[in-house]
Amino acid sequence: MIPDLDYAFYVWTSYGLFALVMAWQFLQPRLRRRQILAELREERALRTGGYDDANS
Amino acid sequence: MTVARMTALLRRDLRLALRHGGESLMPLIFLFSVIILVPLGVGPGPNLLASIAPGMIWVAALLASLLALEQLFRPDLEDGTLEQWWVGGTAPPGALVVTRLFSHWLVTGVPVILFAPLAAQMLYLPSDALPTLMLSLLIGTPVLSLVGGLASALTLGTNRGSVLLSILVFPMVVPVLIFATGAVTAAAEGFSARAHLGLLTALLILAVTLAPLATTAALRLNIE
Amino acid sequence: MIFHRLKVGFHRLGSPPTFHKLCRILSPWLWAGFVACTAIGLYQALYVVPPDYQQGDSFRILYIHVPAAWQAMAGYVIMAILAAIALVWRIRTVEIMTMAAAPVGAAFTALCLATGSLWGKPMWGTWWAWDARLTSMLVLLFIYLGIMGLYAAFEDRRKGARVACILVLVGLVNIPLIHFSVEWWTTLHQGSTINLFGESKMHPSMLPPLIWMAIAVKLMFGGALLDRSRNDLVDQDRRKRWIRDVIGEEA
Repeated sequence: MIPDLDYAFYVWTSYGLFALVMAWQFLQPRLRRRQILAELREERALRTGGYDDANS
Repeated sequence: MTVARMTALLRRDLRLALRHGGESLMPLIFLFSVIILVPLGVGPGPNLLASIAPGMIWVAALLASLLALEQLFRPDLEDGTLEQWWVGGTAPPGALVVTRLFSHWLVTGVPVILFAPLAAQMLYLPSDALPTLMLSLLIGTPVLSLVGGLASALTLGTNRGSVLLSILVFPMVVPVLIFATGAVTAAAEGFSARAHLGLLTALLILAVTLAPLATTAALRLNIE
Repeated sequence: MIFHRLKVGFHRLGSPPTFHKLCRILSPWLWAGFVACTAIGLYQALYVVPPDYQQGDSFRILYIHVPAAWQAMAGYVIMAILAAIALVWRIRTVEIMTMAAAPVGAAFTALCLATGSLWGKPMWGTWWAWDARLTSMLVLLFIYLGIMGLYAAFEDRRKGARVACILVLVGLVNIPLIHFSVEWWTTLHQGSTINLFGESKMHPSMLPPLIWMAIAVKLMFGGALLDRSRNDLVDQDRRKRWIRDVIGEEA
């Protein structure tokens, strides 16, 4: 009784948005953390005067 | 003692408002610029204007009440009088907050109520609905002042208050706007506006009891 | 005795290093739980549940829309509880957690609005309807944005968090009022609305994926909340001594 419409676009866009939001919520704090830690390491290097940490 | 302090503050606020006469006319000028611009925008058809009149008058009143909020507590914060409210000890700070909000309502709310009949005429609001409009403004504008005062206190410690202010006020006034315009619309269509006005009164009671508490707490955090 | 130990544990949580450590340990588990529950939920939602005889496949949006809506509201309740604790006991880590909850809740609110719109298009024929629930969700989004904006506008982060906590509690009083008034408003203006979301009788076979997805987003909320709080804490405590040990561990 309801005409056979193509719902795939709406359904998959919704699921895609869900995936995007979740991925962003996962990645954003991790990227921010890396940024903060990099800043802190730089500050420490400036303070002690030597770039002596392991991964430089 | 407390009452004396409160009347002194009220007198001072009103005297300041009168001295800056031009500034205290701002809400009215703003109200009427909206009321004049709307017919220019949507056309002068009496039916259309009459049907949007309650909403327009109320939205205009709401926006007008936002104007003075930025300066509600800021000058007192800057010259240190706000701190005196806490250390002075002559009156509980909450009472002074209520006084300040009351003077804000006298300066911004009351003129809007007084001039509402004129605005209603300009927008062809049915004359049966006029008493309801006045009553809804009488009950509703104090809520606008209370809620606006809370938003103003919350944003006091920031240096870009005005944008934030409107985003904080907007969710808080949704119920007021709905019940107030609902009342006027009902009256204009010949129905009883009692239920709406009752709910609006309930909002007023809630705002009167809770908003000053939150405002006082926010102010106190901001001057710490 | 147990009460005493609980109390000690509670106070330890207030200590930044302990809190930081707890976040680091707990967060991966929450995220793993989220992935597992989502896998089950999505599998059931997309393959197991048969198409609805009236709405065809479009009702599958429900498995995103409804959990997002629940989480948007539950997130606010959690944030309000945290705000009350933060204001009463003045615990800094809890203040930080309250502020970390806002962006996650806002994300769910936005997701709920977007999927509601995507559902409305095929069903109602418009992207937006002034439906009571969608409208109150929109206002909720603005409340979340207001909280985030207020927190961000303060230079003193701690003061900003405490002031924003007051706003969170104000919103808690405000949200039921908004919900009630908007409901009243839509019944006045539309007569009867077609009720698409929820309420209409649900076949029992449609329920399990919904529950899995609801659990999944709850876990995810916890994970994201802890991740964000941890970042905020480290960011604010840059100059403190305990941070050095943390960088030492992770460098």
